[in-house]
Amino acid sequence: MLLWAVVEGPGSRARVPEDRQADQATLGRMAQGDPDALAELYDRHSRRVFSLALRILQDSPEAEDIVQEVFAQAWRQAARYDAKRGAVGAWLLNLTRSRAIDRLRSARARPDVADDERAVTELRDQGSTPDVQLLAVEQIGLVRTALKELPVLQRVALELAYYEGLTHAEIAAQLDQPLGTVKTRIRLAMLKLRDSLAGAV
Amino acid sequence: MAMESDEMRDFTGLYVLGALSPVERAAFEAHVATCTDCAAEVLHLSKVAGVLGQMAPQVEPPRALRDRVMAVAGTRGPRLATMGPVRAPAPPRPPEPELSIAPPSLDVQPKGRRSVGPLLAAAAALIAAVGLGVYATQVRDRADATENRLREASVRLEDNAKQAADVRRTLVGAQSELAVLTAPDVVRVELAGQAAAPTASARAFWSSSQGLLFTAANLPPLPAGQIYQIWYVGAPAPTSAGLVRPDAAGRVRELFVSPPSMNRPTAMAVTIEPAGGVNAPTGAMYVVGRL
Repeated sequence: MLLWAVVEGPGSRARVPEDRQADQATLGRMAQGDPDALAELYDRHSRRVFSLALRILQDSPEAEDIVQEVFAQAWRQAARYDAKRGAVGAWLLNLTRSRAIDRLRSARARPDVADDERAVTELRDQGSTPDVQLLAVEQIGLVRTALKELPVLQRVALELAYYEGLTHAEIAAQLDQPLGTVKTRIRLAMLKLRDSLAGAV
Repeated sequence: MAMESDEMRDFTGLYVLGALSPVERAAFEAHVATCTDCAAEVLHLSKVAGVLGQMAPQVEPPRALRDRVMAVAGTRGPRLATMGPVRAPAPPRPPEPELSIAPPSLDVQPKGRRSVGPLLAAAAALIAAVGLGVYATQVRDRADATENRLREASVRLEDNAKQAADVRRTLVGAQSELAVLTAPDVVRVELAGQAAAPTASARAFWSSSQGLLFTAANLPPLPAGQIYQIWYVGAPAPTSAGLVRPDAAGRVRELFVSPPSMNRPTAMAVTIEPAGGVNAPTGAMYVVGRL
C-alpha cells in the first residue's frame, strides 16, 4: 500500500473511457441490489473473465466455477468498490487471475504448500489493480505480436509467472535456468511488452 | 550499494506479477520506498500485468453459466421488454448470514481436480433449485471447504503434475532448440577430441540472442566429484557456458542461455572441473573448436 502511495502521483489519470463510466454506474446499481445490473456486468465481461480462467486452469468446469465466484464477489463487494483502484474490467480480471491461480496452486499440492499459500495471499491482497483500460482488438493484436516476438525463454518465463502463478524460484527450477537469468528475462520481457503498448494505455 | 540496487531493479517485473516470495517482496517494498527509479518502473510495468489478462485466447462461456451467475442475485437475468415498463423496485440485498447449514454431502471420495467442478455445479444447482438465493453467495465458502478436503486427494496427483512439467520442459527445450538453430546469428562450431579423449567430439550451435545448443559424443565417464564445463574462449578471459554431465554412452545434448554481455568468442572448449564448476578453467581440455 505504501508503495502505491509513493508511485501514484495526484491527477495521474486523465483519460476516463466511456465504458469505464458505464461499468461504474452498473456497479453502483449492483450495490443497490439491482440484479439487472449484475446481468449487464456479466454480459459485458464474462467472455474475458471466462477466457482468462480457462487459459490458467485449462479446464472448462473449473473455469466456470471461477467465473461464478468472481461475479459473486463483484455482487457482494459492489458497494465497497473504489473507482480509484482502476477500471472495473481490470479489477474483474485481477480477481479472476488471483482465484484461478489460488486454485491451481492448491491443486498442485506441493510439499511446500505452506509457502505457496502465503504467496497466494499476497497475490490476492495486492493493494492495487493495475489501472488498465480494456484494449481494442487491434491493440490486442499488437501486444500478441510483441509477445510472439519475445525470445522463447523470456516468453515462457513470463507466462509461467502470469498464467501459472509460479514464483521466480519455481520458474528457474522448471526451466532449468539460473535464478538471476529468470529475473532478468522477465523484466526484459515486460519492458518490451510495455514498449509495444506505448500510446495504447 | 550499486550492486544491491541492480539486484532490486530486476525485481520490478516479478513484483508486478506477484512472483516474489514474501521475504523478497518485503525487501523490495522497503527498497522502492526510497528508490524513485524502481518506483517509476513498477508503475510503468504495472500496465503490462493488466494487459496480459486480456491476451488469453477468447472463448465464449457456456450459456448455462449465465443462469448460474444470476442465481447469485436471486434472479435469472434482466427483465425483457415483454415484462412491461413497470419495474418493481429491486429487493434489498439480504445480509450474508453465517454458514448455518452443513455443506450438502460433499464427502464423496474425490478422484482428482476435475471433480471439483461437478461438485460445485451440484451445489449451485441445489441452491438454485431450492430457491435459496441467499445461500448462493456462500458457494465460494463451500468451494473453499471442498478444496481443503480435496487437497489431500490432490497429493496423489503430484506425480501427474511432475510428468506434465517434464513434458513442458521437453517442449520448451524443443522450441528453444529450434530458436537457436533458426536464429539469424547462429554459428556452428565443431569441437575435436584432445589428448585426454581422442575419440570425443562435440558440436555447438551458438546464437548470442537465442542461446547455445551443445551436443557431444564419446565423452569419457566422469570421475566422482567432477563435471565437464563448457567455455566460450575469448578476450579478456574464458566465459563459462554451462556444466554438462554425459549419459552412460558419453553423449550430451543440452541447451544453455547465452551470457548477456560477452565479446565474440574465438573458440569453444570443454574442460573437466570440480563438480559445481569453476570461474576460470583449471582442468584438462577434452574437446576444442574454433568459431
